[in-house]
Amino acid sequence: MSEPHRAAAVPTGRPRRPHRPTPVGPHRPRVRRPLRLTLLAATVALAAVAAGCSGGDPDAPDTPDPAAAATATGGVSGPLCASLPTGTDPGNPESLAGEPVDVAVRWIPVLTTFDAAVRATGLAAELRGAQGVTVLAPTDDAFARKFSASNLDELLIHDRDTLRQLLRAHLVNGSYSLAELVAAGSVTTMDGTRLTVAPAESTARIGDVAQAVCADYRVAGGRIHLIDAVLGNLPTTAGRDDDPAH
Amino acid sequence: MRIRRPSVVVLSGLLAATLGAVTAPSTALGQPASATTAAEPNQVTNLTVTQADGYATLAWTPVEGATDYQIERTPVDANDEPIGPSVVVGIWRPNRQINNDSPTFADAGFNPGDRFRWRVRARFGTEEQPYSAPVTGTTLQPWGDPDVPGENLRTQWETTKAAQYTSDTNEYAYTAEIDRLSDRVRVVEIGRTVLGRPINMFVFGYPTPPTTPEAVAATSPVAINCNVHGNEPGDREACLIMARQLAFSNDPRIIDILSHTTVLIVPTINGDGRAANTRGNSTGQDLNRDYSLIRQPETAAFVRMVRDYRPIASYDGHEYGNTRAGDLPMLPPRHQNVAQSIFDQSQDMIEGFMYARGAEDGWWPCPYGCEGGGNVGLGEETILRNTLGLKNVVNSLLELRSSGGQTRPDEGNTANNRRRKTYSALWTFHRLLDYHRAKAAEIKRARAEAIGFQASNSGRIVFRGSHPIPARPAPHPAEAVPPLDEPRPDMILDDAPCAYKLTPEQYLGARTDGPGGVGATLAERIAAHGWKVVKAADGYYVPLAQPERGLIPLLLDAQGAEEWVGGQRVYPTLTGRHNGPLTVTGFTCIADGTVNGPVTVQPGATLVAYRTTFNGPVTATGAAGVVLGDVTLHGPLQVANSAGPVSLVGNTVSGPVNLVGNGGADAPLVAGNTIDGPLSCTDNAAKPTAIEVPNSVKGPRSGQCAAL
Repeated sequence: MSEPHRAAAVPTGRPRRPHRPTPVGPHRPRVRRPLRLTLLAATVALAAVAAGCSGGDPDAPDTPDPAAAATATGGVSGPLCASLPTGTDPGNPESLAGEPVDVAVRWIPVLTTFDAAVRATGLAAELRGAQGVTVLAPTDDAFARKFSASNLDELLIHDRDTLRQLLRAHLVNGSYSLAELVAAGSVTTMDGTRLTVAPAESTARIGDVAQAVCADYRVAGGRIHLIDAVLGNLPTTAGRDDDPAH
Repeated sequence: MRIRRPSVVVLSGLLAATLGAVTAPSTALGQPASATTAAEPNQVTNLTVTQADGYATLAWTPVEGATDYQIERTPVDANDEPIGPSVVVGIWRPNRQINNDSPTFADAGFNPGDRFRWRVRARFGTEEQPYSAPVTGTTLQPWGDPDVPGENLRTQWETTKAAQYTSDTNEYAYTAEIDRLSDRVRVVEIGRTVLGRPINMFVFGYPTPPTTPEAVAATSPVAINCNVHGNEPGDREACLIMARQLAFSNDPRIIDILSHTTVLIVPTINGDGRAANTRGNSTGQDLNRDYSLIRQPETAAFVRMVRDYRPIASYDGHEYGNTRAGDLPMLPPRHQNVAQSIFDQSQDMIEGFMYARGAEDGWWPCPYGCEGGGNVGLGEETILRNTLGLKNVVNSLLELRSSGGQTRPDEGNTANNRRRKTYSALWTFHRLLDYHRAKAAEIKRARAEAIGFQASNSGRIVFRGSHPIPARPAPHPAEAVPPLDEPRPDMILDDAPCAYKLTPEQYLGARTDGPGGVGATLAERIAAHGWKVVKAADGYYVPLAQPERGLIPLLLDAQGAEEWVGGQRVYPTLTGRHNGPLTVTGFTCIADGTVNGPVTVQPGATLVAYRTTFNGPVTATGAAGVVLGDVTLHGPLQVANSAGPVSLVGNTVSGPVNLVGNGGADAPLVAGNTIDGPLSCTDNAAKPTAIEVPNSVKGPRSGQCAAL
């Protein structure tokens, strides 16, 4: 009668389907044909961005894969996804498919800081750009590791220009899956920074510091990839305050 | 409201006690143990689970030699078949509760209404012992019958299953519905934020709440401040759920509480910060460093509410990032100017009551700053916990540990984490109500004693520095405490002045320390705090011989750590023995004196006296102010036609006391006096008040003082 003990944190209370890794991804290098097509599309799009044109290709067609369609993961993958709304929970990835990026962000529970930053800087409109957008969204933990509480307040309240520029370091013109970014090997964000994208275990490393922790939220006009570090070049101020509570 | 319904209660018996943990009875191998008898050595026995709102209390018989316990949870369907993996959701360690003989663990962080199976096992160090027999139960649905209007209201946080926090507009709509549908509540707007968001307060009473702030104050209310830092929303969600319970529950406990007092809940004083998810308000001010200075409208609104509604006990809700802290860090008002009785009663609430109830229900409280919390939990008077203590309110801070930490390993799931926090806050706020209900008389005594002490202007002034929090021998929730925070010598003034004198510029001048560089005047802020101020010919005097003596110097003395201004220290003008009549013109302050003869206070003059004996009548006509604290008067006291404040606190009078025709909007304060003679008040512009510290009067009380 006793279940094998599993230490991994998995949300309880919902029917579980057996977890299968997302077939399209850097850990399945056997899948060659779709990748070449995707690589070409991504390269064209990124070249267009680098040349200063706004936007690239609209969302390249997903590689069809029967296994992916069969899973109920909503297409997201990464070590954090199981800790976020899944299945039919409010905020599950499938439910966000028709939502604009700025609305979708408000449903992903670990993006409260990112969402606050978007609203404080008035970037919602930019997130709804006609060419689509890829969002590399740092989680709340990522922001907490980067900025002290007072620094964050300063950015959100007084220093919105700096914050806006910081956010642009996390946005990419055009809508790309993580696989496309990995295949392209690099990505250029809206602030002009070129970041390497490399496969890492079952996910991807972006730049020097960030890993994708739950990638490929497909939303209206874009994709959202959750990452575990803040990009850009602002100084790290975390740990400077007395404890940010009380 | 807690519905305690033991679900599968595994029968306990004497058998468990006699067998102990080590002897294995002769059951066949592989047979499930009955929960009373250990099938295997060191197996946990007598596991029970009890459901409550948003948490389930596991309880079991301790295993001798266990160093900790693991609590495992498996989601099951209606047939008790597992529908998900088994996960360790809790680690019980001895320091989480004061009674290690009866270990309990509040499992939380699940979707309320789901069904689970739990097991518990002991560990000896890293050596895991066999799991107990399981217990199964269905957790409680979110409170309120879905078919009953009012009860079926749900917050955005509840309907999104903790994926989203309740927005401002959703809160206002929810609040308005509760207001509309329940007679037990009135929602009042106590102020507005910088950007114009309403600051609402629920006022609960059964069958209906008193209709004026003064009437509410007369019930010695209990208050909860739910959300002051915008990025700490967990307590606020608990308050919103609690508001629904208080508004609609027919649980006899709730009705009993609301029949005996008024419950005040302020869900969101920092609506701008909550919407922007910032710690501070819209100007970036940390409001929990502003309750003394009240530079911001949000804190000023709260302080005015405290002045008018006079809660006697309260909690202030926060969240806290130290992953090693307990579930529920708490802390009393520690600033050393807080009267000892308030500190002691607050500690009684925390260590005497909350720790005890935590041990029963499975929550882990600790003194804020516990487990390597750093330089927190100190004595800044700008922090609400301390400001309220200085206002003679028994109170505590409440923190919710932000992440699961070592004892709640399954909170990587954000919804689980948020639910544990909010339902632990809900538990705490209900316990506050229980404490207030059980101990109102003691709390009132502590408050009365504190007010009397403060009004006697006794002892040194400490500008910054804390009462120590004693550490208990481990293992104990209070084994680790915040820093000692002793006052530095430069933060101590041994010889307290009688009053501070402010120039008109200081008192009425424009200030720049508010939003947009515009701050309220000191006159407005002092009025918000509710202090007595005497307008004399040569300036504005704020006497210390009044209930908030602990706070006044911190704001008006240049030696303060965060003062408004450096007012002039005014020392007593008369001490020791004075024989013969005394005519008071100008400003006279008598301390530690004995006056043998009649005292006459001339029009426009001010008499302040404390720790002084008057043998003879004291008569004031048209005074600028009369402030007496801890005075012994053998003779009649007559105060008539004062232009300014009248304050009589903690005095002993053998003779009639007569207050006639005193003017101004500021109600004469007549509190905690012992009067052997009649007390008569007539034609005072504002009705005198005792601020719920009754006078002992051996003679008729009449007129406006009939109820004091």
